[in-house]
This record gives sequence, C-alpha cells and structure tokens, in this order.
Amino acid sequence: MALLEVKDLDVRFAVRGGDLKALRRISFSLDKGERLGLVGESGAGKSVAAFSILNLIAKPGYIAGGQILFEGRDLAAMSERELRRIRGNRIAMIFQDPMMTLNPVLTIGTQMVEAIQAHRKISRRQAREIALDRLRKVQIPSPEKRLDQYPHELSGGMRQRVIIAIALLLDPDIIIADEPTTALDVTIQAEIMALLLELCERENVALMLITHDLGVVSQVTQRMLVMYSGRIIEQGPTREIINDAQHPYTQGLINALPQMGEPGGAIVPDPRLHAVAEERALGVPLPPPLPLRQRAVPAVDAGLCPFRQRGRGLLRSEQPD
Amino acid sequence: MTTATVSRWDRFRESFFWYSFKRDKVAILSFLVLLTMVLAAVFAPWLAPTNPYDLAQIDIMNSELPPVGMAGADPAFPLGTDAQGRDLLSTILYGTRVSLVIGFGAVLLQAALGILFGLLAGYLGGKVDAILMRIADVQLSFSTLMVAIIVGAVFKASFGNLMFGEIAIYMLIFIIGVAEWPQIARTVRASVLAEKKKEYVDAAKVMGFGTGRIMFRHILPNTLSPIFVIATVQIANAIISEAALSFLGLGMPETQPSLGSLIKSGFDYIQSGSWWITLIPGLVLVVLVLVINLLGDWLRDVMNPRLYKG
Amino acid sequence: MTSPLVSIRGLEKRFDLSGGLLEQITFEKGRFRRRQEAVHAINGVDLDVQRGEALCVVGESGCGKSTVARTVMGLISPSAGEIHYDGQRIDNLEGKAALPYRRRMQMIFQNPYASLNPRMTIQQTLEEPIRFHFPTWSAAEVRDKVHEVMQSVGIDPDWGSRFGHEFSGGQRQRIAIARALAVDPEFIVADEPISALDVSIQAQVLNLLMDAQESRSLTYLFITHDLAVVEHFGTRVAVMYLGRVCELADTRTLFATPRHPYTQALLSAIPKLEDDRPNHIRLQGEVPTPVNLPSGCVFHGRCPYANERCRREVPKLIATDGGTRVACHAVEEGRL
Repeated sequence: MALLEVKDLDVRFAVRGGDLKALRRISFSLDKGERLGLVGESGAGKSVAAFSILNLIAKPGYIAGGQILFEGRDLAAMSERELRRIRGNRIAMIFQDPMMTLNPVLTIGTQMVEAIQAHRKISRRQAREIALDRLRKVQIPSPEKRLDQYPHELSGGMRQRVIIAIALLLDPDIIIADEPTTALDVTIQAEIMALLLELCERENVALMLITHDLGVVSQVTQRMLVMYSGRIIEQGPTREIINDAQHPYTQGLINALPQMGEPGGAIVPDPRLHAVAEERALGVPLPPPLPLRQRAVPAVDAGLCPFRQRGRGLLRSEQPD
Repeated sequence: MTTATVSRWDRFRESFFWYSFKRDKVAILSFLVLLTMVLAAVFAPWLAPTNPYDLAQIDIMNSELPPVGMAGADPAFPLGTDAQGRDLLSTILYGTRVSLVIGFGAVLLQAALGILFGLLAGYLGGKVDAILMRIADVQLSFSTLMVAIIVGAVFKASFGNLMFGEIAIYMLIFIIGVAEWPQIARTVRASVLAEKKKEYVDAAKVMGFGTGRIMFRHILPNTLSPIFVIATVQIANAIISEAALSFLGLGMPETQPSLGSLIKSGFDYIQSGSWWITLIPGLVLVVLVLVINLLGDWLRDVMNPRLYKG
Repeated sequence: MTSPLVSIRGLEKRFDLSGGLLEQITFEKGRFRRRQEAVHAINGVDLDVQRGEALCVVGESGCGKSTVARTVMGLISPSAGEIHYDGQRIDNLEGKAALPYRRRMQMIFQNPYASLNPRMTIQQTLEEPIRFHFPTWSAAEVRDKVHEVMQSVGIDPDWGSRFGHEFSGGQRQRIAIARALAVDPEFIVADEPISALDVSIQAQVLNLLMDAQESRSLTYLFITHDLAVVEHFGTRVAVMYLGRVCELADTRTLFATPRHPYTQALLSAIPKLEDDRPNHIRLQGEVPTPVNLPSGCVFHGRCPYANERCRREVPKLIATDGGTRVACHAVEEGRL
C-alpha cells in the first residue's frame, strides 16, 4: 500500500458567480521514501494540491470530493484535532517564503522547541538537543549560536535551511515542499536542493516537491506529475517524461526551456526559443482578456484548450475526465 | 461615443464596487437615506411649504406650535413651528441645505489643499516633505474648533453682526477647510509614497515626463480611492464642526439657519416644553452624519483598507 | 571598431543607510560618534555597449545589476563615474537637454503587474509617450503608430480600450514592450523582463524581443539573473558579483570556457534537464552584505582558489588570450 494515496481529489473555490474548480479529480500516490515532483505553471493548481493534502486550504476554498489516504486513513474526513497530530509530525511542509513558517519575534530555538513539545512529551532540554541535532544535519555553521538568533538575523538561504531543520524535527514520513527555492539565488538554490535530496535519501523520507522548474525536478525526483488547469495531464518516471514526453503541453514546456550548450562548446543551441504553441498557432483564437472570474474558468471548458484535441488518450496512467 | 459610455456602465456593473454595494443592506439603506436628504435639500425651495427667509411669510402668532399629533397642532405646520413662528419643516429643509453646502464646500477646499500638499510632500520628499508635514503637524495640534472659534470671533468683531451674517457661509467653509486639510494631505502622502515606488512611475520618468505630469496624471488617479474614503468621513466631520460652531453662536446666523443654529435657537425653549424645536433638527443632524459615516465605513471596506488612516 | 553606443565609466553607487544627522550619532564606548553606513551597490563598473548588440548583465540578487540599469536610464544618479551615450555625457543632463535621450533610450521593467498604470487604458498608455515626444503629429498619425506597435507585439489593437489588469502577465509585458517601442528608440534597457513570467510565456517574450531587435536594429542592455536565458539572447555577457564585473566575454566563449571561479560556479548551479542529481560546484558561505564590502577581491570569501593577494588587492578586469576579460588574480597568475 502506498504511504499517501490521493483519489479523485476535487477542490473548489467559492467565488462570486459560482465555484472555481482548482483541482479536478486528481489522483496520485506517493510511496515511502519516494521523491515525487509536481510541475506546472502558475494557476495550474499545484500549490492547491499541496495545501489540500494537509487540509490547509483557506476559505473560500474547500475540498468538494475525493479522498486523501495517509496510511489508509482519510485526511479529508479527519477532524481538525486529529489533523493537527499529523501536521508537522508525520507530514511536514516547507513553504516558498520561510517567513510563513517562522515567527519574527521568537528565536529559532524557541520555535523549534515549541514545535517538538507540541507533539512529544519531553523536557525543554531534550527538545533543544533534538533541535541542535537537526540544525547540524542541515549543515548550518555554528548551530548553537543560531538557536538564540531571530529569523531576521539570518540570510535567505540560512532561513530556508532552518525551515528544513524544522521540517525534520519530528522525523516525518513525508515532506511537502512548495517551491522551496524559488525566492533564492541559483547558487543557494543548488545548495538547498542538494541538501534536501541528501536528507530525504538518508532519512528515507518521502518528498513531494512542487516547482515550476523542470531542471530541479529532473535533478531531485524519481517520479513526476505535470499539471495543467487543475488536472494531471501526464505522470510517470521523471527521466522517461523528460526524455520522451507524450503530452503536447509537457513537450512544449520542455522545449520552451532555454537549452544550455555543453561546456566545451560542441553544441550551440538554436538562438530561437521554442515557445509553447500559442492558441493562435493551433487555429483557435487567443481568448480576449476577461475579468478574473471568467478567465479563471479554465480554457478547457470553453473548448479553447489547444491540447484538448491533441492530448486525448496520451496519458501514461490516467485518462482525462 | 455611446459605445464608450455603455462599456463604462458595463464595467461599473461588473465591478466589485457595485457587487459589494448590492450585497450590503446597510450601505444601500444609508445611500438611499442620504440621497433623499440631499435631494430634499437641493429642492428645498420647491418642496418647503414656506420660505423661512422671507419675513413676509412668517407670522409671530404661529410661534411654538407643536408637531402634528399633539394637542394644539396646526396641520399647516407638520413639524410644528419655532419661536419666531417659522415652519420647522421648511427651516429644516433649508438648514440641511446650508449644512450640506458647508460640509461639501469645506471638504472640497480640504481636498484641494490636501491633495496638492500631499502630492508635493510625498512625491518630492526631502525638504519639501519635511516642511509641509511639520506645518501639517502644527496645524493638527490646534483643535479645529479652537481655531474656528478664534478666527470666527475676530471676524465677527471686525465685520459686525450684519456683515458677518452675509459672509458666514464662506467663512465656515474656509475655516473648516483650512483647519482640516492635513487629514487628507497625510492620507495622500502615504499613498503617494506607496505608488511612487511602482514601476509605472519609473516608466513615466524614463519617458521624460515632467514632475507635474507624473504627479497629477499618473500618481493622483491611483491615490483617489483613499481620498474618496477619507473625504466621505470628512464631510460628516465638517457638518458636525459647523453645527458645533453654530451652536456656539459663531456659525450661521439665525436668519439663515443651518441645522446647528436651529438646534441652538430651540435650545432656549427646551425648558418651556417646546422640545421639538431642538430635538427634530438634532435628529436630522444625527441621521445625516450617521448615514455619511456608515457609507464611509463601507467605502473603506470596499476600497483598499490598508491605506486608510483616519 | 566603431565607438560604442553606451559607455559606462568608473560607475559607483552608494545608497546611504544612516538617515539624517541625528540618526547617525551613536553612543559607543563612552563617547558620541557619527556613524555612516552605506550599501555599496556598484563599485567601479566599466562597460561598453556596442551598436546592435545585446549585452547581458548577469548576477545574483544584490550584485548591483539592476542599479546599473537604472543608473544608465537616469532613474538613479551615480555617486561617481560617467555615462556616455553616442559620445555625449548624459548622467548630468537635466530637463530639456535630456529629452532627446529619453526618446532614444527606453526601458522594460521586471514586473508587468506594476509597470502599467492601472488607471489608464492601453490606448492611453501607448498614446501618451508618442504625443509627448512627437508633439507635431496629428491624431491620426498617433493612432496609426499605436496600431502599428500593438500589432508588432501581437496584441490586438481592438483591445486598446481595456485596462492593464484585464490582461495576463505575458500580454502585459508585451504591452510594456509596445510602450517602449512606440517612441522609436535605438537602445532598450530590459531589467529582468521575463523573470515574473511562466516558462512558456518567457520564450514568447524573448522571441518578441529578438524580433524587435532584428526589425528595428535595436541595441539591448539585458539584465537577468538567469544565465540559461543569456545563452539564447546575448551577444556578450558581463557577470557581476557584489557591484563589480568579474567576467566579460562573448556569449559563446563564456559558456564554452568560463574563466572566473564565480562564473563557473554560477554555470554549474543551473539545474539541467540531463542531470540526475545536483552537481554544482560547492561554494563556501553566502554572499556578503554590500554594506561591509570584503577587502580585495569581493569573491575571495567563497572562492576555493583565494590566496593572500586576493584578500588584499582588488583584481582588475584583464584581457586573456581567449578574448575573455576576467577580474581574477588566479587567472592572471595562471593558477587557474
């Protein structure tokens, strides 16, 4: 049995003029120790998927249907009290903005100790030991000093390391990381991703990595899902999809990436980038600009999805509904 | 040109503004009450049974008649009459008119000064900002009423009662307008500071546009929402200030009464049992100020709530 | 070689952090002292932009690349140094004298959500600069020009009466490009024009910029943090670190043989599709704050090849045999 199994998850946002379907019956699973990438562009629903797993969708969003089975128990049907026992304990989350997790007026140490004591009955001193151990694991220089520092005294990369340390505090089974390095510079991003990968491997933690960066997914994950307007349009082993994407959208996404020539200069990339086929190129007019609530209803429903005609029947593991 | 106006109207009906107005019962009710009062005030000369300014229509014999429904009432005067025999309904209609003119006038003056100084202080920054804002601070540290009382008293003493009566309405607009401009200037400055960091302002600078054009054509339209909110509340404040001044005898003369001076003129008779002369205009004042404030509250919620500083 | 279109000489920019005189005075060790702190955003940058090229300035946040762009455009005045455009010094021009350059030099901004005035329609946004710079044009000429630029960036001219917020991010960035093109500029500074956009949209916008360069013979100064994009776009690349240029080379040369240790690290840190694991060059520590600049080479704290000289002496940008210009003692001494 998979560690986490999402079945037909349907998430909607109640807005004026009706419901906005953010997730349309998506299903996927995550095994123990597996690293899964969730790729898509803004508005594809990848963050909503991450948040809904821990039932963290804020109003006006709500789970309209489906199951989220964690070790066979449905998280979607759990009470807030039961959920709290799982959040941060069994399933930890890393956000894009470290300040979403860190409280600016408390020291790192206090926050880590509180997080531990919320789930385990141990002394302050023991909790502090655990915190120190996790800070060492994320290779923060002089971890003892960090415990007594405030979040604003740390750099962006350091803060994200602290976040990872907090995520690891209670030896979770799953870490959900929502664009954990998007706000960071490339060199720091590389460090953090390498660290996250290393830790997940060593501690046998399952990782669900949400990102828009195919390069990162390729480096870190074993399996990936590609999302487009609330649906999973392609899923499979990462390497297989990167090398031989089946869905035209995934193909477009991969081709749109700037290609890097090899160091050594043997391959010179084509100076023109392959833009993802615009709707116009496929003979469907580009939809005129609309107010948000109309635009947000995915183009698929309007019959405007350029991938509709071509995309059918091409999914590796599931059919579009 | 009609297509443009139609699309404007459509845009308005699509807007969040209209949507939230439709759903807010308090806002709708307040708006309807205010609209009725404004219309009644504007059309007072046609609606009012008598003209209280016309001495020929006043009969002292009709003084202190109670409102309809009480013993001794005269159906010709539905809300009764005051001590000089003026029809209270007519005086209230005319009084509301005066109060509203002063309220709107003072706020227009405040807005003109506040927008100009706020834009200059926020956009130019540095010394201009420091000087203008210190002036604003000094101005705010005097209470509006205190300044108004001093200025009003000086004017009254130097021009005499008769002359003062003629210019009173302009005087009050001027005093309340000048005393309260820092409120708007500060709000404008705060939102200019936020707006001027945005890239569209840089884009305008890169185009080589002059300071004036950037301030008035590019930044000002984007600071209108908070100005609109605070101006609404300031109208209510101005009406109250005027009423308070008139009540103290430094506002509108009794020959051209505002709501404030009506309350004052009736106040002397409250002991003698003629409570309606004071109470009815008082109620009108309270309702007027209340609906404006309720509308202001609603506006603040709809428009950017962050920028509001009252 | 012809004279460069834009030349930046000895550019420095400090942003004062310490505020007014009263805030500068601190009480330390028993006596009052006046303390001044400044962010050293640019510390001596020399760059030439040749006619018709796209010079890319690359670096991580805080390296001063955006400050260079804004200083060139006159949005910020430099603390020291000069900027020349077509042989004329422009950083000290004011008012009327600067106006011709405001037309010839244009800028595209990072955030398409903030760079269009929310209270103006697209038509107004595009018409205003044209009317301003070509006051003799008739209304019909202005309309035709707006029509032309909108079409050239792929925005339907019929949408002119709509407001910016009704468009998607990519469409807005196209409109921002149209605004820059409307006054027929020669030189465009693009400050991270695609970093706020989705990958699929990025490609469209980059292609659009390349088309415009071809058809209007434009010169670009292109600011980005994304080295991968540069390989498609740039003629030459300048890599910046903490307010200094550490490597300047033809794009192809830079990607084939990066010389500066920082450039090498930066290149290796870009996640590539072919990778199965992160395989970047590990750097020590993090970027120091530009408030207290390290002495000597700004990169020495993180550089695996740093020695005593690097800690002491600021390296100069020196031409190497490969045509690359590198500011690195190790390269100069042949250690690297």
